[in-house]
Amino acid sequence: MGSKMFAVRSIRSLQFTFSQLGGTQQCLRSLSGSSNVVKKNDDMPLQMENPYKQPQKGCILCNITVDFKNVQLLSQFVSPHTGRVYGRHITGLCGKKQREIGKAIKKAHSMGFMSVTHKDPHFMKDPNICDIRHLE
Amino acid sequence: MPRYELALIVKAMQRPETAALLRRTVETLMERGAVVRGLENLGEKLLPYKISKHNERHTRGGYFLIDFHAAPGIVTGLLDHLERDIDVVRPTVLKNDPEPSNGPCCGPPVASKLQDTV
Repeated sequence: MGSKMFAVRSIRSLQFTFSQLGGTQQCLRSLSGSSNVVKKNDDMPLQMENPYKQPQKGCILCNITVDFKNVQLLSQFVSPHTGRVYGRHITGLCGKKQREIGKAIKKAHSMGFMSVTHKDPHFMKDPNICDIRHLE
Repeated sequence: MPRYELALIVKAMQRPETAALLRRTVETLMERGAVVRGLENLGEKLLPYKISKHNERHTRGGYFLIDFHAAPGIVTGLLDHLERDIDVVRPTVLKNDPEPSNGPCCGPPVASKLQDTV
């Protein structure tokens, strides 16, 4: 019983303070007048395109057609020791291009254009575009 | 008519024999109602691996590409005919329709998409 009474008393005191505040605000509004009324919309952020937007970065084969005849390009995504195709985490290609490269390599293997177990020695000196470091 | 490409690997021969082989291949194509668009010579190269065909082990070969338009029905017959030619090491017919170029190749990374949904 005692706790309940206490709670009621506190709420009543809060109500009293709120009414006082409301009264003061109303007074201020009447003094300032209608000319300098601040519109609530000026506080909101402006709608604009992101000024810090960076140009979209594509994978290294963006806008390059992948062909089974282009054995030099295909050999860049293949291990020089075993002739195995590198995975996406090594080549850094996007999904579409990785699949195209894989399919083109398989096609070249079956058609007799590219070796399966090793990389063509003429293409060994090509720049390394994959994220892999070879020994020696 | 769809557009095909014949990637032909032929035995390493002298020039007149290679010419005769190409002539009869193109004539076969035309007999079957194909319209030959062009012929490319990719040179005589070392084969990527030794190929055994028609009781012979081939190490070198001439690479040719024949672009042609044809009805789809003749393709199996043509491959059959080429397999029986003793000078041909490996014939392959591929479809070569020009694809419509799509929009931007690489879209935004997957991580940003997740952020939008969350």
